[in-house]
Amino acid sequence: MKRLTKTFFAFLLALLPVMAMAQIDGEFIKPRPGKFLLQNATVVTITKGVLNNTSVLIEDGKIKEVGANISADGAEVIDCTGKFIYPGMIDGGTKLGLVEVSSVPETVDYAEIGNFSPNMQALTAVNPNSVAIPVTRVSGVTTVLTVPAGGLFPGTAALINLNGYTPDQMYAGFKGIVMNFPNSGRRGRFDRRSDEDIKKANEKALKDANDLWDNAKSYNKLIADGAKLDYYPEMAQLAKATTGELPLLIEVNAASDILAAIKWVEGKGAKVIFTGVSEGWRVADSIATAKIPVITGPIQALPTRESDRYDTPYANAGKMAKAGVKVAIRTDDQENVRNLPFFAAFAAAYGMGKDEAWKAVTINPAEIFGLADQYGSVEAGKVANLIVADGDPFETKTNVMHVFIEGYRMPLSNRQIRLYQEFLDRSPGLKVN
Amino acid sequence: MKKPLLYAGVFCFMVSGLLSSTLALAQSDPSGKKPITDTYAITNATVFTSPGQAGVKTTVLIKNGLIQGVGNNLALPKEAKTIAGDSLFIYPGFIAGASDVGITRPKDPERPDDFVSSNPSDEIAGITPWRSAVDQFSIKDSKVDDLRKVGFTIVQISPEGGMIAGKTAIVLLGSENSTNILKENTALAANFRGSRGMYPGTAVGVMAKFREVYDNTMLTSERSQKYSTVAGLKRPEITPTYSAMQEVTTGQIPVMFTTSSDLEIRRAISLQKEKGFKLVLTGLEEYEGVLDVIKASGAAVLVKLEIPDDKAIKAQKDDATAEVKELNARVKKAYDDAIAQAGKLEEAGIPFAFSIVGVKSGDIMKALQKMIASGLSEKAALAALTTNPASILGLTKVAGSIEKGKMANLILSTDSLFTEDAQIKHIVVDGIIYDYETKAKKKAAKDGNGAMKIEGTWEYTSESPAGSSGGILVIKKDGSDYSGTITYDDPSGAGKATSDIKNVNLNGSSLSFSFDVTASGMDITVDVSGEVSEGSYDATMTVGEFGSFPFKGTLTPTLIANK
Amino acid sequence: MKKVNYFLAALLGLSIQFASAQVKKGSVLIKNATVLTVTEGTLENSDVLVQDGIIKKVGQNLNAPNGVTTIDATGKYLMPGIIDAHSHLGLDVVNEATSPIVAEVRMKDMVNPFEVGIYRALAGGVTISHAMHGSANVIGGQNATLKHRWGSTDPADIIMQEAPRTIKFALGENPTRVHGRGNGIQPRTRMGVEAILRNGFNEAIQYKKEWAEYNAAASQKGNTALSPVHNERLEILSDILDGKIIIHCHSYRADEIYMLINVARDFGITKLVFQHTNEGFKVAPEIAEYTMGASVFADWWAYKFEVYYSTAYNAAILTENGAITSINSDDAELIRHLYHEAAKTQRYGGMTDEQALSMITINPAKQLGIADKVGSIEEGKQADLVIFEGHPLSSYAVPQMTFVDGVKYFDIKEDADDQRMKISATEMVEPVMIYEGHDSRCMQDTESLFETTESLFLLNQ
Repeated sequence: MKRLTKTFFAFLLALLPVMAMAQIDGEFIKPRPGKFLLQNATVVTITKGVLNNTSVLIEDGKIKEVGANISADGAEVIDCTGKFIYPGMIDGGTKLGLVEVSSVPETVDYAEIGNFSPNMQALTAVNPNSVAIPVTRVSGVTTVLTVPAGGLFPGTAALINLNGYTPDQMYAGFKGIVMNFPNSGRRGRFDRRSDEDIKKANEKALKDANDLWDNAKSYNKLIADGAKLDYYPEMAQLAKATTGELPLLIEVNAASDILAAIKWVEGKGAKVIFTGVSEGWRVADSIATAKIPVITGPIQALPTRESDRYDTPYANAGKMAKAGVKVAIRTDDQENVRNLPFFAAFAAAYGMGKDEAWKAVTINPAEIFGLADQYGSVEAGKVANLIVADGDPFETKTNVMHVFIEGYRMPLSNRQIRLYQEFLDRSPGLKVN
Repeated sequence: MKKPLLYAGVFCFMVSGLLSSTLALAQSDPSGKKPITDTYAITNATVFTSPGQAGVKTTVLIKNGLIQGVGNNLALPKEAKTIAGDSLFIYPGFIAGASDVGITRPKDPERPDDFVSSNPSDEIAGITPWRSAVDQFSIKDSKVDDLRKVGFTIVQISPEGGMIAGKTAIVLLGSENSTNILKENTALAANFRGSRGMYPGTAVGVMAKFREVYDNTMLTSERSQKYSTVAGLKRPEITPTYSAMQEVTTGQIPVMFTTSSDLEIRRAISLQKEKGFKLVLTGLEEYEGVLDVIKASGAAVLVKLEIPDDKAIKAQKDDATAEVKELNARVKKAYDDAIAQAGKLEEAGIPFAFSIVGVKSGDIMKALQKMIASGLSEKAALAALTTNPASILGLTKVAGSIEKGKMANLILSTDSLFTEDAQIKHIVVDGIIYDYETKAKKKAAKDGNGAMKIEGTWEYTSESPAGSSGGILVIKKDGSDYSGTITYDDPSGAGKATSDIKNVNLNGSSLSFSFDVTASGMDITVDVSGEVSEGSYDATMTVGEFGSFPFKGTLTPTLIANK
Repeated sequence: MKKVNYFLAALLGLSIQFASAQVKKGSVLIKNATVLTVTEGTLENSDVLVQDGIIKKVGQNLNAPNGVTTIDATGKYLMPGIIDAHSHLGLDVVNEATSPIVAEVRMKDMVNPFEVGIYRALAGGVTISHAMHGSANVIGGQNATLKHRWGSTDPADIIMQEAPRTIKFALGENPTRVHGRGNGIQPRTRMGVEAILRNGFNEAIQYKKEWAEYNAAASQKGNTALSPVHNERLEILSDILDGKIIIHCHSYRADEIYMLINVARDFGITKLVFQHTNEGFKVAPEIAEYTMGASVFADWWAYKFEVYYSTAYNAAILTENGAITSINSDDAELIRHLYHEAAKTQRYGGMTDEQALSMITINPAKQLGIADKVGSIEEGKQADLVIFEGHPLSSYAVPQMTFVDGVKYFDIKEDADDQRMKISATEMVEPVMIYEGHDSRCMQDTESLFETTESLFLLNQ
């Protein structure tokens, strides 16, 4: 039996290169820029339908051309016959790069001290060499919003591409100020506050938010009128949300809070995006009417109430989309952002449908971030964030064969894959003395 | 001005009974409080001798703390003082199967320097079967009269403590000059509470530890037995725990397990089945689903004499969405079911008594009325308060009904007992008569909608062992709800502190509310409840576990006038 | 005398506590499904007949006996009920964290059949879960294997009475943090963990000997023997040494896994399953050779230091090395889609459908010692079944109906939304709980041992 296993391994290893295990690709270790022609694929453009027998030319970091007969013209040709090309997926909310090991505080960089710290820049703390980044990349997620957490205004989130050695190289062109809308719900099983205490804390937080907002507006107005004010970096940053210079990402979940938040933003002149929105399905029409886009997730989550139907978290995104809300999906994760395609699949299966679910991880977040001209679809002129797969990337059986980020062909290895390569048939194996 | 400690109750004052009649040797009494006689005839009252018996107009003769006779043609001795009972209804005094009245939790033992949390001594771990509730009991506690005033004359007191807290005892709520003990070591009080931060720390550890203590008690008995009959044996180790547990393992006394929910009830019964001890289930709150299990176990049952608060029900709004209405309906049903449980227990043919551990005396009558309105028969309710506990506690010969030769423990009420208008006029315990003030139902100040008017600024005084204090109570009305604030002497120093009042509940003329006080880092909830009439508020203030004290308020008239 | 007998019976482990529970058994004919038997291949367009809770017949063109309901599953997939080898659902208490060894505590004492999580697990096709003691102790309590008979009010009815006894062990960060750093007693290191294990087993051997000597002496006339003290904890450790209990050991690092294998070898213990086992892939040959395998997460890692050097290919490496491998949840959320977790082994290591499905059916059944009763669709086995729309290993799969013993406990079309069995009479609207990531209960009930609940969150898993 043991011998059989050994023989099987030898056979398996011999087959590795041809077994289409694209994720075990020892071919190169550095991202490689260049001119690439992805030839003869089925291109799922997201915005322009599905194009059969189509090629995509990548040059200078951009999608140069999408068409049937593109000449190679010096490009490295990658045969994609029988393969599918999709835009790289965008995760609308993560802590990727901000934390390495959750239980080791020295590696946790997403929550600063203070209730009012909108000037904290997530982009500054992104570790470009986080082990989780290449682990994420091979799933086809090429771009993520990385978000600080904590108090009422915990900081400024940034959109990053999963390629680059400095935060600036990774920066993908969107920042937003995060606001945790005062929560009237419980924070979890350990939250044993009385209803009254929760209500009080909620009212106080709302008052704080209003005061801060009004102050930021005044601050901005005085500065605009030429006043010389003391250094006040928090106020200066929040002021950017009051003018709409930076969008406001409002984290809000309970139905009553969502309604309160809709009311709160009225007339504030802010560019508002709701995030979380776990109970969005309860008030989907109100969100649609208010025309506020939503980044929702995690999809694989527990219902918010004991009495809720078991599948409400799976169905939430679809219900909001059906009501006319622009919906993007997030994992709200750090080390397992790689599950974004599976979250999208769950949303698709529980009412959203595949097309809408694909939009929710591509063009919708791009539009919400104001970057639809650069990201979110396979169209000429856009940033070359692309993936090539041998099937539907939402399926676990599918292999993602190639990932391009800003025109770089990304290595499809990571520590988890290297451990696989080392330990699948360990040497020495079972040593008997 | 400091008042003496422990003012008894609010409405009550004792005019007699400071000296037990049985101890009354001939002596002078400059206080003037000694009763002139221990013989009373309550004449022509409506007497309910035991549950299910119709009231009969008759006379009850009391002497020497005993009922000397019940009947119309009794020869009344010359020394008998006559109490005209024409308008009174007489019932046997209530008996509580379990109570914490007058019990003070003993101080936790100090942890030794070499304390190991994984293997603490029994005493520190809350395993103290040798303790007796008698040692923790004081008849002078203000809660004693609160409870007597509701009709209780005998209670089984349960010691405070950990998983095996100690032995219960049966006491009379009688004279301050008597020990009042009827029986000691009547049951072993146990529960599923773990010891914080040490073994056993949770219910699962408690069950394992209980088994271990039980098994080793049996082995210890076996060893001692052998040691006493066979020569040449190593001395067996005797511990206070095993010695005290033997009454349980030999079946002399039952284990009284506090089991509030059906899962806890099942856990206690499974231990009982495993080990074979006698079982009393006490503190039952949620038991509808396990009636058959209880019945099959043969365990005695002490239901917690309390009903869920109705705040959630009252908060239900008519304009709720369909979804919320559906959820509301389930809550309402849960509430109704909870109250109807006692009736179901009766239906299932399980005789039960009540536990009043953790129950406020002032809420007891209302709880009984609600249970009766939800299916419990008056007969079963009275049995649960008299004959059933007498039988569970082994007191059938001396208490539980109005019969010649039984203890003179009586309730003298102005009306049929469970009716809303009934007020208790006298309680007789052990032949001593306690008088309580009854009031004609006063007309209350009502607002336009017919509800009692309570909003405004009240000045209040309260009495506590710390002395007399007072402050300002402000009640505001928001829609149909009330809110407000209260000031009080700051426990952490000089001056006044202010807290918001919450859970303000006005029902007819009954007003209750609570507020939180922080004292030496501990949050204490103070509950106040009482009756409002014509701008005055007579209430009782319950301060956490520390006791109940009088609380009197007056609505400041100027502010009313300003309204 | 009778009492003494009673006592002896208890010592022998003849607990009568949960005897003779009455559980519901159903009959049903499921027709025209794609039947994923797991052990006997995939049968297209086939029928499964269940009678009195048992799979009577698997085949084609079966007819329903009188009174047996027929369910048309054309176009749908039928698979065995999913088995979760690591869960804390349905338990009122998870950790008796107060001592490094608490072998004497029984999770069966704490089973709570009212937890709505049980229904939610059914809605993800899970019919059996292994309700484990937490991971605060080197040797934790005895676990309970639950059958998800939702709606039962008697805990005994959801305990799989015929399942063998299992016990929780835990190595590494959790026990060393709770005891060493939290309470200042051994173990504070992985060295201490080994010492606790070896000390415990040696004490148990000594204990057993004392009793054996006493029992031998006590039967002699005129003896002067006195019984030793009864110690349930050592009693249970003796049972482990006697092979009566399967160890399920929370473990992460390769070195600690290897350590326990060596300890087990030294004491002749063979019934051993590793739980979590994130670094199991590094000692896969040893796990395969000596143990009943490993029960792992599909892709969880990096939530604490001892899982930083993990790989999602763990299950595949273990499987390819011949270790029995299962995928578990340890989590009220994850348990809702174990079919999807198993599917991840196809991306991370190219597992076949059969290998992937085995990891949530027959393999956990083997690790729980119930593979002769459940874990595959075979005639004679208990009828725990799930009907899926879409192949269960597809990310778009949606469970439609779940059966335990032939009784349907989940139906996506017919079930009411609100499945709560117990409603608070005093809480108007139940609290809204915003999901904040995986909230494993491995360390539940250890709160009192830590300064803040926040530090507890960090101790999860």
